[in-house]
This record gives sequence, C-alpha cells and structure tokens, in this order.
Amino acid sequence: MIQLFALLAAAAGRLITEACPIYAPFFGAMGVTSALVFTVMGAAYGTAKSSVGISTMGVMKPDLVIRAFIPVIFAGVIAIYGLIICVIIVGNLGKTTANYTLYKSFTDLAAGLTVGLCGLAAGMAIGIVGDSGVRAFGQQAKLYVIMMLILIFSEALGLYGLIIGILLSGVKDDYCPGTPLAPPAAQ
Amino acid sequence: MGLFGGSRKHGGIFTFNKDDGYLEALLRGFRKGILSHVDYTNLRQCENLEGKKKQQEEQKDKERFNIKLHLSQTDYGDFLSGEPAPLQTATIEEKATAKMVEEFNQIRNQAVEPLSTFLDYICYGYMIDNIILLITGTLHERDVSELISKCHPLGMFKSMATLSLVRNTTDLYNTVLIDTPLAPYIQGCLHEEDLDVLNIEIIRNTLNKAYLEDFYAYCNELGGQTSLIMNDILKFEADRRAINITIHSLNSNELNKDDREKLFPTIGQLYPEGTSKLARCEDISQVRQILEVYSTFRNLLSEGVVSGDLSLETSFQKHEVHLNRMAFEDQYGYGVFYAYFRLREQEIKNIIWISECILQNMKSKIDQYVPIF
Repeated sequence: MIQLFALLAAAAGRLITEACPIYAPFFGAMGVTSALVFTVMGAAYGTAKSSVGISTMGVMKPDLVIRAFIPVIFAGVIAIYGLIICVIIVGNLGKTTANYTLYKSFTDLAAGLTVGLCGLAAGMAIGIVGDSGVRAFGQQAKLYVIMMLILIFSEALGLYGLIIGILLSGVKDDYCPGTPLAPPAAQ
Repeated sequence: MGLFGGSRKHGGIFTFNKDDGYLEALLRGFRKGILSHVDYTNLRQCENLEGKKKQQEEQKDKERFNIKLHLSQTDYGDFLSGEPAPLQTATIEEKATAKMVEEFNQIRNQAVEPLSTFLDYICYGYMIDNIILLITGTLHERDVSELISKCHPLGMFKSMATLSLVRNTTDLYNTVLIDTPLAPYIQGCLHEEDLDVLNIEIIRNTLNKAYLEDFYAYCNELGGQTSLIMNDILKFEADRRAINITIHSLNSNELNKDDREKLFPTIGQLYPEGTSKLARCEDISQVRQILEVYSTFRNLLSEGVVSGDLSLETSFQKHEVHLNRMAFEDQYGYGVFYAYFRLREQEIKNIIWISECILQNMKSKIDQYVPIF
C-alpha cells in the first residue's frame, strides 16, 4: 500500500511528508468550490432581486430600462471575482513541480472562503439596493447618480474580499520538513 | 432568504427592507403630502369652492379665495382640473378618494406576501360597507348600477358584476356574497333569513366584529412591530364600536341585552368586563360611569356633551388620529400602511367638512375638523 502511494507521489513529482500530507489538496479544492459557489449565489440573488425591480418599473417607463440595467451588471461582476480567484487557486493546485504544503492549502482555502462569503454579502446588498433603487429611479430620474454610488459601495465589499483572497493565494511556501513517505523520484 | 414555506412573517430590523423597504419609503413620501396645519389655515380662509378660472400650481396671485386653488398648491395638484363649474363637495370627495385609491393601488401592486395580505385586510373594511350598501339598495329595489357607482372604490370585489342578476336577498347571498373574501365572516354569523330590513345594522355590526377579530388575529400572527402598533389601533376601534352600539341602542327597543352583547368585538380593552356592563346599562349616565374606570375613555367623554353624538364622534376621531400618528414613529412593521390610509380618510372628511361649511356659510363651525399634523 505504501509503495502504491509512493509510486503515485513519485509520478506526480510531489513530496509527501508530515508538512505536505497527501490530503493537502483537499483544502485547496474546497477553497475553489466555496469561492465559486458562494459568489455565484450572491450574484444570483443580486440579479434576481434587481430584475424584479426592473420589470416593475419597466412596464411604466420602458425608456429607462437600459439605464436601470446597472445592478445586474454589478451582480455579474461579483461572480467574476469568484472566477478570478478560482483560476488562481486551481493554478496553485495544479503545480506539478512545486510541493503543495498544508500551509499553502490552508491559505488557499481561506482565500476561497473570503472571496466567496464577501461576494455573497455584496451580491445580497446589490440585490436589495438595486431593487429599491431602480423602482425609485423609475419615478424620479434624478436618483440615478445616488443609486450608482450606493451600488459602487456595495460592490466594493466584494472587491475587498478579492484583494485579500489574491494576497492569501499569493503566499509562497515550499518547505516540506519531515521524512518523506517514499523516496523522491530521483531516477 | 425566505425561500421556504410556512406562515409568512415579515422581517425584523435586518431583513424588513428586503421585501418591504421600498414600499415603506414610498408610503412615507405620501405621508409628507398629507395636508398640514398651514394648509388648513389657508383652506379655512377661503370664500368659495372654485375660482373664475383654473390656475396652475405656480400661480403667484395674492387672491387666495378658493378651495380648488389652495388644494392645487398641495400634493393634490390638479386633481380637480376639468371639473365643470359649479364645483360640488361630492365631486371633491370623489376625486380626493380617487387619489387615495391610486396611491393604494400603487403600493398594493408592488407588494409581496405578507404585505399584500395585510393590505387586503385593509380593503375588507371597505368591502363590508359596500356590501351593506348593496343589500340595503337591493331591499329598496334600487338600480344596481346606481348602487355600484356609490360604492367605495377600495372595497370592490369581482362578483359585483353579477349583481345585475340579483333579484332578492337569497340570490344576493348565494351568488354574490359567497364568492367574496368576506365569505368566512358571512358564513360564520349570518343566515339568509337574517337579510331583511330590520337587521341591516345588526348585519353590519356582526360583519365588522368578525372582521376586526380576524384582522387582530392576523396581526398577532405577523408579530413584531406590526402587532405592537396594530394592537393598540384595533383595540381602540373595537371599543369605539362597542360604545357606539351601546349609545345607539339605548334609544331603540329592537335590540335586547343579549343581542347587544353579541355585537361587541372581543378584542378591546373593554372586553370582558366593560362589555358585559355596557350590555346591561340603560342610559347615558350609566355609560359614563362604566367608562370612568378606563383612562382613555374618561378623557374622551368628558370633552363636550355626551348626548350629542357629534362631539363624541369627534373625540373618537381625534384619538384615532393620535394613535395613527404614533404609528409613524415606529419602523419595521406594517402599522404605517394602515395608519396612512386612515389618516387620508380623515383628511378627506376634513376637506369635505370645510367645503360644506364654506358652501353653506357656516363659518363658525369651520374649526370642528380634526387636525392631523
């Protein structure tokens, strides 16, 4: 059994020791999942809620609908944040030449969760602000600027998560102390 | 996120604005349009109902002699434009009510559960008045279309169109009333043989009792700030009806004591002790004595002459306006929606009172409206 693991590890070019255990990629993978799932949930809520408002006001003021489309764009951008961080983390996971330490996997998980949950919060905020904002905009066109400002501040919440996520996933760690499970593929 | 079923409650401090925030904001905007002290001062100084020619909102003329002009300066705007001279108070009332209905529909069309059910409950009160109107009219062989034009627009229900087929009260009951949302109230307390002339007021009071109790139960089911505000308002309404029923039945012999007690709603402050005493009392002084114990009513009855209904009704209206104004101090509840529409009704009554006083040249009585803000 151990020889099987050793063979696998050797084939992948990774060192399996105490500090770089075999299960380390689990946390990284969970980081990817949580990032995308939660940001998409936030974006879905934002899109759905603001669309209700747009449909309601669009019946009476169809000319304003194009300008009222803004909240849907902002909500979509939240999902893009999730996509960005996922690509970065998957890049980390997939490195065959470097070792994937437990430390690295934890920071990847943290990055994913940060972006995911911040995106969820931002998406919910964008949904509610967008809904009320476009309905009010339909009745009073001067409210457009303030609605945009509030939406930008809500979007910034997701951006803060992305910044920290990128910083976290940019952590470099290669140190794998401890006895390796199998001799490294030195052939 | 409120995706799951069950009895739908509205949110609290964190989640109320998700579904109802925009509508509450809209409502508070409407509230700003309720006529203020200054507007009433201007209206009281008017000499007649309309000017020689219609003016727009930005008129700078110093001659402010007429109601139509003054109302166009307020949130009412041009609502009386296009009305032929001479202007009648009935027209003013109709147009002002139409404006209120428009605001109601604007909110109702965008409301989701549970606000939509709450707003429907507000309509049921008007539906009861309309139904009583229709029943009375049918019994007196009036034309149905004429009756429908007199109904309050907020109390319309779908089966009104079938009223032209109704020939007697049995048909009215079976085909029309059963389909209305008021059917549970009707089924619970009425039978076909009850629908005749003598009992119209009894029917009205029975329906109102069932409606108030149902509304009260619904508000308590919603909980939170809604039940806090609405409890006070509905309890006062119940007590007010009990007192009015007592005073009106003191002079008539149609209602015996047990029947009278059955008409009192069971949700008020007076229930159960006060209502049982009121059911048995014989004259006005006993009524006063019974109500002495309750601080709210002691104050209301001491203002003005008790036997004259007018001043008692005005005191009740003043207290109701006070309770409705207090509702606006609160947030994250539906009490403001109910309060706003009641205040609008009171405002319409005020405008009609002032207009009638002007029309009939009774300027001395012009101050007997109920100020709101």
